[in-house]
Amino acid sequence: MKRGGRGSQALSRRDFLGRAAGLGIAATGLLEATRPEAAVAQTTQKRELIVAQGGDVSKFDPHLSTSSNDIRVSFNIFDNLTSRHPDGKLYPGLATEWASTGPTTWRFKLRQGVKWHNGDPLTSADAKFSIERTYDPAAKTLVATVFTTIDRIDAPDPFTLIFTTKKPDPLLPARLAFYGGQIVPKKYLGEVGPDAFNAKPVGTGPVRFVSWTKDDRLVLGANPDYWGGKIDTDRVVFRPIPETASRVIAILKGEVDVITQLPPDQVARVDRSPKARAASTLYAGLYVLAVNSKVKPLDNPRIKQALSLAIDRQAIVKDLWRGQGLVPNGPIAKGDNHYDASLPPLPYDPAKAKANLREAGYKNEPIYIETTVGYVANDKPMSEAIAAMWKDVGVNAVVEVIEYSVRAEKNRDRSFKGMFWSDPTSTLGDPDGMMWRLLGPGGPQDYWRHPEFDELGNAARFSLDEKFRDQAYKKMTRIFLEHNPWIVVLQPYELYGFERYVEFIPNPNQQFEVRRFNFRMRRA
Amino acid sequence: MHGLGAFLAYRLLRAFVALWLVSTVVFVVMRLSGDPVPLLLPPDAPTVEITRVRHELGLDRPLAVQYAVFIGNVLHGDFGRSIHFRQPAMAVAFAYLPATFELGLAAFLIAVVVAFPIGVFSAVRRNSPLDHAAMGVALVGQSAPTFFLGILLILGFSLWLNLFPTSGRGDWRYLVLPALTLGAFAMASIARITRSAVLEVQRADYIRTARAKGMGEFMVIAKHTLKNAALPILTITGLQFGTLLGGAVVTETVFSWPGMGRLAIQSIYNRDYPVVQSTVFIAAVLFIFINLALDALYGVLDPRARAARS
Repeated sequence: MKRGGRGSQALSRRDFLGRAAGLGIAATGLLEATRPEAAVAQTTQKRELIVAQGGDVSKFDPHLSTSSNDIRVSFNIFDNLTSRHPDGKLYPGLATEWASTGPTTWRFKLRQGVKWHNGDPLTSADAKFSIERTYDPAAKTLVATVFTTIDRIDAPDPFTLIFTTKKPDPLLPARLAFYGGQIVPKKYLGEVGPDAFNAKPVGTGPVRFVSWTKDDRLVLGANPDYWGGKIDTDRVVFRPIPETASRVIAILKGEVDVITQLPPDQVARVDRSPKARAASTLYAGLYVLAVNSKVKPLDNPRIKQALSLAIDRQAIVKDLWRGQGLVPNGPIAKGDNHYDASLPPLPYDPAKAKANLREAGYKNEPIYIETTVGYVANDKPMSEAIAAMWKDVGVNAVVEVIEYSVRAEKNRDRSFKGMFWSDPTSTLGDPDGMMWRLLGPGGPQDYWRHPEFDELGNAARFSLDEKFRDQAYKKMTRIFLEHNPWIVVLQPYELYGFERYVEFIPNPNQQFEVRRFNFRMRRA
Repeated sequence: MHGLGAFLAYRLLRAFVALWLVSTVVFVVMRLSGDPVPLLLPPDAPTVEITRVRHELGLDRPLAVQYAVFIGNVLHGDFGRSIHFRQPAMAVAFAYLPATFELGLAAFLIAVVVAFPIGVFSAVRRNSPLDHAAMGVALVGQSAPTFFLGILLILGFSLWLNLFPTSGRGDWRYLVLPALTLGAFAMASIARITRSAVLEVQRADYIRTARAKGMGEFMVIAKHTLKNAALPILTITGLQFGTLLGGAVVTETVFSWPGMGRLAIQSIYNRDYPVVQSTVFIAAVLFIFINLALDALYGVLDPRARAARS
């Protein structure tokens, strides 16, 4: 899931830090010293988990949205065939086992005895229908690009599925764990139609739809017959609290049990509270300045090397992120397949940067960062800090602020003037799902081509040989670090606030799931 | 009677023209401002996919055709389907109206109930310490940013004193802080206008005459002053009411209040044209209706206004 601000998400991202850094947090800090001590609340009798996120859900049909506010909800109502747990590994979901039975075939065994929330039994026909629906033009879904490698799906018996792919696809089980892969009920959807299904969704997940008051509260009831066992609460309520300061106060006061998108500068404050604590998980992805390498002088690799060398990433992590991030060592996020732990963190060397610029014949051409405010957390402050660091080595850096939808259009038209923030997410826990998906030919960030890089990327995508893939990604990383199609900046932590009685292990890719394996409420 | 009928017909015609103009401007501005499709699709969606969705939403047609379709549908009461919610846009907007109305009305009532007596009192006891204090508070109320005031109230009354919930919509307790926040500006301006209107009238000859006749001060204020000071107060109050109903964006955001202002802003960010058009249309209808009602009240209170307008 791209954290992109689609849907009501746009608002929530926009104000993630922009507002937090503003008046409200300043005011809350001022008065904090006078707050009386509340009783220590390490346990609870509550049977309801209230989750506050930055924006409301807009659609329940999981095939109609890729907004993270929607996905946090739909991953709880629905199940996928495979399931990615917070440890980053794939586990059984609605499928109990799967295996590659040929270069282009995968066989999945479905779990028996699973019931939909309306009591209907789950069969392989539901799964076949769901995946085919994602790319069926008549269904008008918004996830049509997720399963483009699939050629055919067969359901020979009620609990077997056979996928035939166009070319070998080592990542099919990983693709099925992510958005687009949620399994929807064929019979119910056929009976009531897509509009009624979207209004009153029926899934197989640990919670079922109860009621929704737009922009106020979504109530989900625990599914007592869940195949994975009933979760440790009777209800899960999602509340949109768009204002960051209000969301932080809500967790401090104990009005909600979980908040998402806690700003780094509020971590200490939440941790000091007797009721709440901050929790973090390393984001499965990177924050990068993607580069339009077609414009001058960014078509010159020497210049991009200099720009990368001139960024003091330690300072950014320390001052703008309060330590809540890592300095990356290349284009593969820590925690992903084929991450190379032996590479050193990206270096800071202003003297070498200056020399590079001189040798490259840099003639003071403007270098633009077109930044949004809050598309990725801290984007504007980071842009300003980086521009200042670039100015220190003699680069004519210009920061321009654009609105989120303008960014979306520039992204579509590939019309950025230079650099722009991107937060490539490891949707598949693999470089193919992140670096190659975005930077490959025809991909959304296709601004730069290199024959060897392309050859390796294509070969790795369709290879079932993990050793070969590992070598390919090592070579691609070397080429990448020479050419910098992205200037990688940092790998941040995803931050949450929890009431102290909530035990929750967040998922690194913002796939928010309330399940038995990661959630418990401590009771007296 | 003939005069009043013509007056109303004229006003109604003007109302329709205003609604048409507002809808057209919103239609054009929204379409010039950006395309909703890149916001709907995953960031790696290929161009064919974007083209398909644009076609399905009818966004690939010429602007003039889109406009003709839009006007044709509106005349049939159809404001299109929300791109974001995939539901009829007017129904989406209407779903938010009760919350906005509740908040706006509460803010308005708090403002009027507090501001009016303060304004009158300040005028009658002008230059007293209480007058200075009240007008000082009013000045702060008019100049404090809504966002700041809202957060301060949440900190003071919910986190610290634990009297009210921080956010959301529920029983009356949920209404108090957002209504105070939203009503603060209106409260301050109504109090100030009331004070100056009352002061103005108190300088008039007929007040002096009434006092000279030996009428008690309470009667002077109740019978002569307030009635004559009512027009400017009514104007400002009516306008504030419209503003409260129309634009509570910041308050609704700070308090997570599920109102139409927040919906409108989100829909602008999402380029959800039909919902923006619906919310603006509702707000325009409300404003026009309030203005009409004000004019009618004017006529009742001041015969000169009736004569001038017919």
